[in-house]
Amino acid sequence: MKTRAALAAFGVGFGLWGVWLMLQSLQPAQLIRLPLWLGGVVIADDFILVPTTVAVGWLVTRWSIGPDRHRTVGAVRTTLLYVGITTLIAIPLLLRQGKGANPTVLPRDYLRDWLLLEATIILAGLAVFLIQRSRITQRS
Amino acid sequence: MKLPAPPTEKSFPSPLHHPRVATVIGRWLAVAVLVCFLTGLFSHFQQHTPAWLHIPSRPASLYRVTQGLHVFSGTIAVPLLLAKLWTVYPKLFAKPELKGLLEKASILVLVSAMALELFIGYLNTLQWYPWPFPFKETHYALAWIIIGALLVHIAVKLPLIRTHWRRTAEVVAESLPPAITGMTRRGLFRTVAGAASLVGISTIGQSVPAFGPIAVLAPRKPNVGPQGLPVNRTAEAAGVPGIPADWRFTISGPQQLSYTIDQLRALPQSRSDLPIACVEGWSQGARWEGIRIRDLLHLCGAPASSRVRVVSMEKGGFYATTELPPEFAADPLTLLALRLNGGELALDHGFPARIIAPNRPGVLQTKWVHRLEVIS
Repeated sequence: MKTRAALAAFGVGFGLWGVWLMLQSLQPAQLIRLPLWLGGVVIADDFILVPTTVAVGWLVTRWSIGPDRHRTVGAVRTTLLYVGITTLIAIPLLLRQGKGANPTVLPRDYLRDWLLLEATIILAGLAVFLIQRSRITQRS
Repeated sequence: MKLPAPPTEKSFPSPLHHPRVATVIGRWLAVAVLVCFLTGLFSHFQQHTPAWLHIPSRPASLYRVTQGLHVFSGTIAVPLLLAKLWTVYPKLFAKPELKGLLEKASILVLVSAMALELFIGYLNTLQWYPWPFPFKETHYALAWIIIGALLVHIAVKLPLIRTHWRRTAEVVAESLPPAITGMTRRGLFRTVAGAASLVGISTIGQSVPAFGPIAVLAPRKPNVGPQGLPVNRTAEAAGVPGIPADWRFTISGPQQLSYTIDQLRALPQSRSDLPIACVEGWSQGARWEGIRIRDLLHLCGAPASSRVRVVSMEKGGFYATTELPPEFAADPLTLLALRLNGGELALDHGFPARIIAPNRPGVLQTKWVHRLEVIS
């Protein structure tokens, strides 16, 4: 109990310090807009990103009920997840391509690189998928 | 027409929405957050050094490592945070109770602050600022709010964390046999670790040049730029078109000395192999040649351990004037650099003269220097 009380006390202290810093360094107009952004990111992850993941997961699980699919569902699910997370990270790069502050910011061809990365992930996933499926065929 | 009932906690049948999973992924996320917070604090103190703190000038590559880790840990925290939020997602639909209201509020603070922190931190590495508040101050204040809310969260969940710290028996869903749901806890952990590694490998190349070629998701390539080095603020952006024919460099201390560019070149030159390590996480080693700051201090009659004000010709910006603390001025690696990688400094790298010091953030490696003032 003592540990929990100490953790909570330090937590509240650090949090209030952060709030004080925020009040010190931001203009009133900025302080009013900040909660909109804080709320916006919560909506983005709780009402867009996570529900999308849950929905795709549900579809994959439904698909996996078919004969022998339980052997390959892992490869499908992992591939989809990796494509999803790398694409999420790539979105700002793709949006800002060519708009860097100077030519050394965002110097790559991000569309080409992103396509290459996704192709690599999908090919690797496909290889695992085929290996896992061929194992079933051999056994039966 | 009747609307479908909203989901409840029971609407999510996967056995992976389990406290054991939350504990394991929470642990990973906590490590990433802690590394990110401590390295961020170090970077903050580098730029706003309180009087009681003395930052050493060695190891020379310390800041390169800590800031690379800062951006790395923040980037891989994105998949970890998403996995954590997915695991506890059903809790969002639990019946609200008065008792748990305070806990819910602390979680709301934690999630919103952490998601916004990672978002603005990542966009900052692209030098993209679409929000209506200052980046640096907000990023710093949010960090304290996150650490605070995280400690409160751990305090609230401590009994649950303790129960599930070690492996517990896996609950199998009643509706589906495990062979069909496919994913075990171990499988999920492997997938999440794999996602974090994938994101890490495809971005770390901006800090570790060896991984540069495969850093397909990195906003920087460490060897792209004039003289093989990236640039944050160009001469054009800084309003420095070049130097006039009568340009002179001055140093004021006990004596005031003034040099033309040719006279500077005639002074004893030293060589330093030092990285440029930027707050945005990218870094690259380089070979610098110029005059040691301690030699310049000696020439004007000041002790080697002097605090030195560095004045740039750049217009506006937060870093037109910076201060070199005594430890850094005295370090033999610290130069007023005139040459980079075997050639004269490019204008974008600070021609005719710039500061290069060990263990310092890139923003403090002042470019286009025309004046040094000994403060103490």
